[in-house]
Amino acid sequence: MSDPAIELSGVRKNYKYFSLDNIHLTVPEGQIMGLIGPNGAGKSTTIRIILGLVHQDSGEVRVLGHRMPAEQIAAKWDIGFASEDMRLYESLTIGWHMDFMRRIYPKWDAAYARLLLKRFGLRADQKVKGLSHGQRVKATLLMVLARKPKLLVLDEPTTGLDPVARHEILRELTAVMADEGRSVLFSSHNTHDVEQISDRVTFIDRGRIIDSMDKEVYLERWRRLHLEVPHGVELPVLPGIIGVRRDGRLAIATANAFVPDLAHAYESSGARVHSVENMTLEEIFVANVEYSREEVEA
Amino acid sequence: MRSSVVGQLIRKDLVLYWKPIFTATAAAAAALALVLAGGETPVFVGVILFFIALILAGHMLPLMGIANERKKQNLAFLMSLPISSIQYTTAKLISSLILFLIPWLTAVIVGVWIIDTRGIFPPGVLPDALILAFLPLLGFCLITGAVLVGETEGWGIAANVFCNIVYPFFWYFMLKVPALMANVKSPTVVWNSASLTILAWEFALAPLMLGLTYFIQSRKRDFV
Repeated sequence: MSDPAIELSGVRKNYKYFSLDNIHLTVPEGQIMGLIGPNGAGKSTTIRIILGLVHQDSGEVRVLGHRMPAEQIAAKWDIGFASEDMRLYESLTIGWHMDFMRRIYPKWDAAYARLLLKRFGLRADQKVKGLSHGQRVKATLLMVLARKPKLLVLDEPTTGLDPVARHEILRELTAVMADEGRSVLFSSHNTHDVEQISDRVTFIDRGRIIDSMDKEVYLERWRRLHLEVPHGVELPVLPGIIGVRRDGRLAIATANAFVPDLAHAYESSGARVHSVENMTLEEIFVANVEYSREEVEA
Repeated sequence: MRSSVVGQLIRKDLVLYWKPIFTATAAAAAALALVLAGGETPVFVGVILFFIALILAGHMLPLMGIANERKKQNLAFLMSLPISSIQYTTAKLISSLILFLIPWLTAVIVGVWIIDTRGIFPPGVLPDALILAFLPLLGFCLITGAVLVGETEGWGIAANVFCNIVYPFFWYFMLKVPALMANVKSPTVVWNSASLTILAWEFALAPLMLGLTYFIQSRKRDFV
């Protein structure tokens, strides 16, 4: 079995007002991992530790088999990194940047770069200064993708984009990911984007990983049960139910390990199960964060 | 052909900042042309403009080439390349030095030539002129260190203000040191211990400041 593309174990990083706490994260080779968290959750710090730009206080970080941050130069030859706060040089053209990357990367694919230029509706002679936000993001991604990295690390790349630009970028990323040897870590607070392209999903909140598993498993295990609870009936506490919200006779129970027996157990207690609904990744994320915060506070 | 990433970063800075350096060199050349024109007022204005051109080059370059790179969020792009933070620092120090030394060395060499051959100034002024010419170089080293280590434009501006305060005090100090002023009107160049000591200090301080910058940068744990 090949090494994971990214492996973090017991990583800690303390700042004055924020800490990453005991982060364990594995991105298997060839997989697309979505890293979802609210603003300030620790996504960007985690990514910067992965790239060796921020040194962890403790814990092990291995990227493409390289120890980080000590071997960051060797690792970065095969990492393509783009972030929402990354900008190309305003006074220079896209073509200049392409030439700059070509001079650095032996694997730079000039034909693919030209193809991306066309697909993204960009021109090599355009100065970065005159580009819209969407075009700037596309130009940055072009620089990342045409170097043919083994690992793509994307930190909120679709933030602030209009739906058409987001769709174009996600489509290109999906095409790139058809290469099975390529691994991707995709951070976002937009669960819709992550749901579209990820194999695995990790939730992070307040510097802690709160859950990490296959996307399909999340969608399979998380359910919302709409109940009618007659007067005098007490709902039982069931394993797999992480929260119950009551409003008079009606109640909504959220399950993070749904099995049909849960519905039967409610029925047996005297409640009536109106419906069992699937949850979107966004709903799962919000419920997961709320549950995790309640657990921590308790 | 592929060269090292550090080499590419240096080349990139030369492409990006040749215009302000060309402008500073042209301004220094214009100031020296004014000096060559002769006459009390043109020479006085030329000398003042000469130092202003060098000071501007030394002060603006680190702010444009280093602080702006952070402010305009280009640094994340650079640090995505296969380099370490210390390689980035190396590239920045080398490119900034090259860019600054072009106008500085050109202006200083031409200035020395004018003093030596044109008869506009007495040759005895040369040691003091060189001491003064070194000040913008020291200012450049200090501001470069401040923006690299401090990581914000604010540190660069603070260093800039500090230099601008120090320069007139230094000029005043020179006027008050008899050993420095004794030979200003001499028909030959006189290198006394006072001028040599100050020049030696200036000569040592420049690499010391850049070396200290490099040392502090190499010990940083967080870069972007």
